[in-house]
Amino acid sequence: MMPDLQQVGEGQTQQWAPKITAPVVLLENVSKTYGKIHALSEITLALSGGVTGILGANGAGKSTLFNLLMGKLKPSSGSIKLFGTDPWKNPAPYARVGFVPEHEKMHDWMTAHGFVSLFARLNGLTREEAKSEADRVLNFVGLTDVAHKQLGRYSKGMRQRVKIAHALVNDPELIVLDEPLQGCDPLARTTIMNVIRELGKMGRTVLVSSHILHEIERITEQIVILHNGRLLALGNLHAIREKMDNIPHTISIGCENPKELAKDIINNDAVYGISFPSGDRLQIQTHNLNAVHRELPTLIVANGHKVSSIDNPDDDLESILNYLTGGLAR
Amino acid sequence: MMAPPKKDNVFRALDRKLGAVAEFTMRQYRTKLSTWVILGVGFIAIFIVVLFYVDSMQQEIEAIDNDGDSADWDGDGYPTGQERIYGTDPNNPDSHPGTFTPPIAPDAPEKWINEDDFDWDLTASGDTTVGYDDDGDCRLSDSTQSQKDYNRNNVECDIILNYDEMRGEWSEPYSDRLVDEDPDEEKYAKEAIHRAFLLAIGKMGFVFLLGIFLPLFLATGLIREEMDNSTIHFMLAKPIARRDIFLGRIVGYLGIVWPYIIGMGVTVGIISGFAGPGDSLFRFADLGMWMAIIFATMLATLVYGMLFCALGTLWKRGIILALPFAAWELGMAILSFNAPTSSILRFSVIGWSLNIIDAASLVVWPNMNLFISMGMWGGGHGAGGFWDNSLEGAGALSAFASDTGLGISPIATIVVSTLVLLFQAAVLWLVGSAIFKGKEIE
Repeated sequence: MMPDLQQVGEGQTQQWAPKITAPVVLLENVSKTYGKIHALSEITLALSGGVTGILGANGAGKSTLFNLLMGKLKPSSGSIKLFGTDPWKNPAPYARVGFVPEHEKMHDWMTAHGFVSLFARLNGLTREEAKSEADRVLNFVGLTDVAHKQLGRYSKGMRQRVKIAHALVNDPELIVLDEPLQGCDPLARTTIMNVIRELGKMGRTVLVSSHILHEIERITEQIVILHNGRLLALGNLHAIREKMDNIPHTISIGCENPKELAKDIINNDAVYGISFPSGDRLQIQTHNLNAVHRELPTLIVANGHKVSSIDNPDDDLESILNYLTGGLAR
Repeated sequence: MMAPPKKDNVFRALDRKLGAVAEFTMRQYRTKLSTWVILGVGFIAIFIVVLFYVDSMQQEIEAIDNDGDSADWDGDGYPTGQERIYGTDPNNPDSHPGTFTPPIAPDAPEKWINEDDFDWDLTASGDTTVGYDDDGDCRLSDSTQSQKDYNRNNVECDIILNYDEMRGEWSEPYSDRLVDEDPDEEKYAKEAIHRAFLLAIGKMGFVFLLGIFLPLFLATGLIREEMDNSTIHFMLAKPIARRDIFLGRIVGYLGIVWPYIIGMGVTVGIISGFAGPGDSLFRFADLGMWMAIIFATMLATLVYGMLFCALGTLWKRGIILALPFAAWELGMAILSFNAPTSSILRFSVIGWSLNIIDAASLVVWPNMNLFISMGMWGGGHGAGGFWDNSLEGAGALSAFASDTGLGISPIATIVVSTLVLLFQAAVLWLVGSAIFKGKEIE
């Protein structure tokens, strides 16, 4: 591979300052190809502020997109700007970016505190500043009491939180998280989701990738759907869902007496099928998700049913993809 | 919100980041078992050689009576040499210094072994004459004038030294009969073996073995292992240029390797300083040599470190790319012993590094070449057979000592070689970081 000997990026010797008017993330017609394989094609995207979920099946191009954003890959065509600067040519914007890679390997011999303060120093902090900054971010992700344990002894979820902590050093304006919930236990999931929501509330621009819709759904409404390297949809998750209402859906309800609930619910026009997967669970097939969701609460309250959960067990992403691609996704 | 560091000069910011990467690298290497295995193997390899050296310093070297004058030919109890200086007939049992008034007591035969040692002025720089006939067998014997001035320079009992300007070396000494003909074999051999050891372990042990194998195993993976483990992603996502990561990793690797080399050099230097020959307890004169050996090895590990790290970054199996370089350097090391002036040596790292040691040996031990040719001459009639009069150690020393090959003074050689090596390191750093910069990493 030919090294980039030009190094046209802005000189590092000057104090780097973000261009205020530029969007945090700006991609224009970005493509990344490996020979004949198009990992990403013609992505155009501008993001500033708030939490955005990047959705896509495995191999849809989420990691490629992030690697391009993080200056690890060079786009085959198009331009990428972080705060108005090309990250491939100049690492300066990373002073304002935190990145949580999907890779699981970490330096297991380090303590969480040592790990985080090392990368704080790479942000240009002095040793002492880095130490107090590490204390702050580890506290933010709730790891203060185990901060001086070796990473090798951490659980998967704790390691994810350390990775998030290391990304939050120096209070970045953009935080990019690649599959942060993968392989985490429920407790860690909740903590991480809370952290991400918190960051969104603080006005940071957050990019979270996942291949599981309901994970993203609990964090954000704003989503970008990638499919086979293409940008399939961009916008509010509910808006996308609305359009899907007239395709078949399954709703799963956990309750004490499923049979009684089924009797009440079968009268609804939108429901065309009912099943009982277990003794405390009822499944409804419907064409009109909205109509059922509109009536369900009144129905439950009026008849005094005790309901523990209502969710859509369908692989939502797959059904959305199916809908958006007109069935080509399968 | 924490503001980015205030008006911070570039050097300090770089120092923070670079320092962090270097410190991280050192800590990482300290936790790895493989580091200690490699350093341990280097230690064992060097110390096996040191053991052989210490052993050779303990061995006695047989004193040879080259001129045979310790023998009592006529059986009167007086060694021939003693009879000769008193002018009695060594072949007549009735003629001996015991008949004098007052009578002279006979010498022990040992006194007439190694009795005519070298009386050479090793500071000589051009054509000159040296030598003094200690035992008087040239001056006092009844030999003819033409025998006493065999080399016909009108000075009796001396040795002519000719310096060949063209070839830059000393011609074979041209001696009068029986001058400095019975040297102290042990004294010369120990000194020569000691010098040969310092040169050999400095050039092959330190500069070649440590200088190439430590970087080969420790520097090749500096970037590559992080890429393979995908832990490099953490570092790449921070506001630090890749060439600074590259440099920081090298600095961290040097932080492990340089103290090790200094420690090894000081340890072996202390051992050889005490074990080595000489009148004083410790050979302080060798300190310059050890400084040069340590310095040359440090520079070699710097240049090779940059090279191998760049090769490791270039390809997953960078060590395979590094091996031809190591083989080339070995060839150049061997070439430098035989043909120190070949210009092809300039296309190597080791050629320049060895120059530093050779130059230092010329500073620390003035007129090394004369010392070697003195041993090769060996008094004119040595034990090595008719054609080979050389004393023990002279051959080894001449094998390991070589000219600096640049044709300039030793100090200038050290300065030029150092600058060239630093230049090589800088170029390899730029090339290596350009490779790293152009690398797409997933």
